[in-house]
Amino acid sequence: MKKNIINIGIPSKGRLRKDILKIFKKNKLNLVSERGERDLLGSIKQLKNIKVLYLHAREIVERLGDGSLDLGFSGYDLLKESEVNIQNKINVSKRYDFGKATLVIAIPDPWIDVQTVADLEEIAFEFKDKKKKRLRVATKYPNLTREFLFAKGVTQFRLVSSLGATEAYPFTGSSEIITDITSTGETLKANNLRILKDGKILESLACMMTSKSSVKKREVKKLIKLLSEN
Amino acid sequence: MKSKNLSENILRSVKSKGFKYIDLPSVIEANHIVQRSGENFRKFIFSFIDQNGSELCLRPDLTIASCLRYLENNLKRKEKIYYSGQAYRKSQNKKDSIIRDQVGFEIIGSKDEKNDDKEIINTSLKSLQNIKYSSGILTIGNVEIFNLLISKLDIPNRWRLRLSRHFWREKYFNDLLKRLETNSDVDPTIVEIDKKRYFKMLKEDLSKVIAGRSINEILKRFDNKIRDPRGTRKGENVSKIIKEFLKIKCPINKAASKLNKFFKKNKINLIVDQKYFPISENKISKLNVVFSASFGRQLEYYTGMVFKIDIKSKSKNRNIINGGRYDKLISDLGSKNQVAAVGAALNLNY
Repeated sequence: MKKNIINIGIPSKGRLRKDILKIFKKNKLNLVSERGERDLLGSIKQLKNIKVLYLHAREIVERLGDGSLDLGFSGYDLLKESEVNIQNKINVSKRYDFGKATLVIAIPDPWIDVQTVADLEEIAFEFKDKKKKRLRVATKYPNLTREFLFAKGVTQFRLVSSLGATEAYPFTGSSEIITDITSTGETLKANNLRILKDGKILESLACMMTSKSSVKKREVKKLIKLLSEN
Repeated sequence: MKSKNLSENILRSVKSKGFKYIDLPSVIEANHIVQRSGENFRKFIFSFIDQNGSELCLRPDLTIASCLRYLENNLKRKEKIYYSGQAYRKSQNKKDSIIRDQVGFEIIGSKDEKNDDKEIINTSLKSLQNIKYSSGILTIGNVEIFNLLISKLDIPNRWRLRLSRHFWREKYFNDLLKRLETNSDVDPTIVEIDKKRYFKMLKEDLSKVIAGRSINEILKRFDNKIRDPRGTRKGENVSKIIKEFLKIKCPINKAASKLNKFFKKNKINLIVDQKYFPISENKISKLNVVFSASFGRQLEYYTGMVFKIDIKSKSKNRNIINGGRYDKLISDLGSKNQVAAVGAALNLNY
C-alpha cells in the first residue's frame, strides 16, 4: 500500500502557495490537514493515496531532485538556480500563468555612468585594478548570477550571499550591486536601485515539476493531467 | 596516468636542463584563485571549509601553486624549478578526468625574458623526446603583439582596454567586435536624461561615496563616456582589421614578414623582427612549427609568448604540452611588484 503513495510538495508560504491552492480548488480537490492551516502535512479528500507536504519553495526543488517528492510546485527561477545534478532529475510538467517575476541586476541609481552590463564589466576592472578590491554582488541566486555575469564578460567580482532584504546591501556597505527577483521593479526603485538595460537574467513563473524517477507512475501521470487542464 | 617510467624519464629530461625539483602543497586557499580569476573559477575548483571557516581547495593547476610558493616565501631571486603531481579540476565534459597528472617547469624572477622563453620551449622539446608520436605541431603565439596592435588602433581607450581584457575569451570577444561595429553601448536618449542628472550631481559633495564609488568618480566616467567621438564606420573598420589579424597563421619563419605586411597594409605603425620569436625553424624533429596570431586565448593569465604542442599518436591528435609567459600572475596573487615568469606543463593523461 505504502508503495503507491504519491508525495506532492506545495509551497508553505506566500503568494505562490495561494495561487497553487487555487488550482486544487478549481479542480474540486479538497486539501485537508488534520491540525489546521499550520499543519505541514496534508492530504486530498478525494484522492486517498496522495500525501501533501508543505515546504519551502526551494526545498521542493531539492526534494524532487532526490526523489522524495513525486510532484511539486515551485518557481522556475529556483529550479534553474539549483545544481545541475538536481535539474537533471526534474521535469517541468506545466508552466502556469502566475508567479511571474524576473531575476535582474540592479545597481545604485546614482551610478549614472552605468547603463549596461558592458559598463559594469569596466567598473569591475576598475575595482580590481584601482581599488584592489572585487566588485561585490549580493544575491540569493549565486549560480544564475555567476553564469550570467561571466557570459556577459564580467569576470572580476565576488558574490555575497544574501538571505533577504538584498536591496539594502549596496547602501550598508555589504555589497556594491545586487541581483534580485522582481515583478514590478517598484521595490528596487524605492530602494534607490536601477535595473541595467540589458540586466535581465531570467524570467520566471510558477511551474508544476515532476521527479524524473516518478514520471512513469500511473498515478502521477493522472495527477499531472488533471492539474494541467486548468 | 602513463607508466611511472615515462614520467620519471620526463622528469630526468627536465632536470638535465638545470631545473630544481620542488614540492608543492596539494591544498591552497580558494581565496587566491577567486582573487586571480574571479568568481567564475569557483565552478572548476573542489573547495571546502576548514575548522576556522577559511575556504580551501585542491590545487586546480600546479602553476598557481608554484607562484604562490614564490610569493609566500618572499623569494626575489631567479628560480628554475620543476614539479610533478596531480591537479584537480571539475569539468562540464564528462569525458574529462577530474584528476590531471602534470609535470611542470618554470623560470621565475629572471630578467632575460627572450632567452627564458627559448629555454622553456627547448625543455619542452627535450621532454617530448620521451614520448612516441608520428607527427605533430608546435604552435606559437604572442599575446603582446595583439595588445600592441590594439594600442595603435583608432578607438576610445575604454574599448582598447576592453578588447585586451577579453582576448582570451573567444566567444565574448566576437560579441565585443559586433558591438564595436554598431557602437551600441551608448544610448543617446538615456544620455540626454542623465545629463540633467549629471549637472545636478555636479553640485553635490563630490567626495560622497555611493556603494564604493565617489560621485566624482561616477561623473568623470560619465563625462568620458559621452565624449567618445566615434562613428559606426570607424568601428567597422577597426573590427575588420582585428579580424584580419586574428586570421594570420603561417610557418614560423614567415611570421615577421607576414605581420609586417599586415601592419603596412593597414597603416599601423608597428614592425616585428623575426628574432622576436623564440624559434625560426619550421621543422623541429617531427614537429611543424607555426605562428598563429589568435593563439593564446585559452587562459586569462598569459601576457606574452604562448605555445602548445599537439602530437599525433596512435592516429589520434593529442594536446601534450602547453606553456607561456605570465608576468602578471604573481602580482595578481598579491605581490607588490611584477615578477617575470614563464613556464610549461606537460599533460601525462594524453
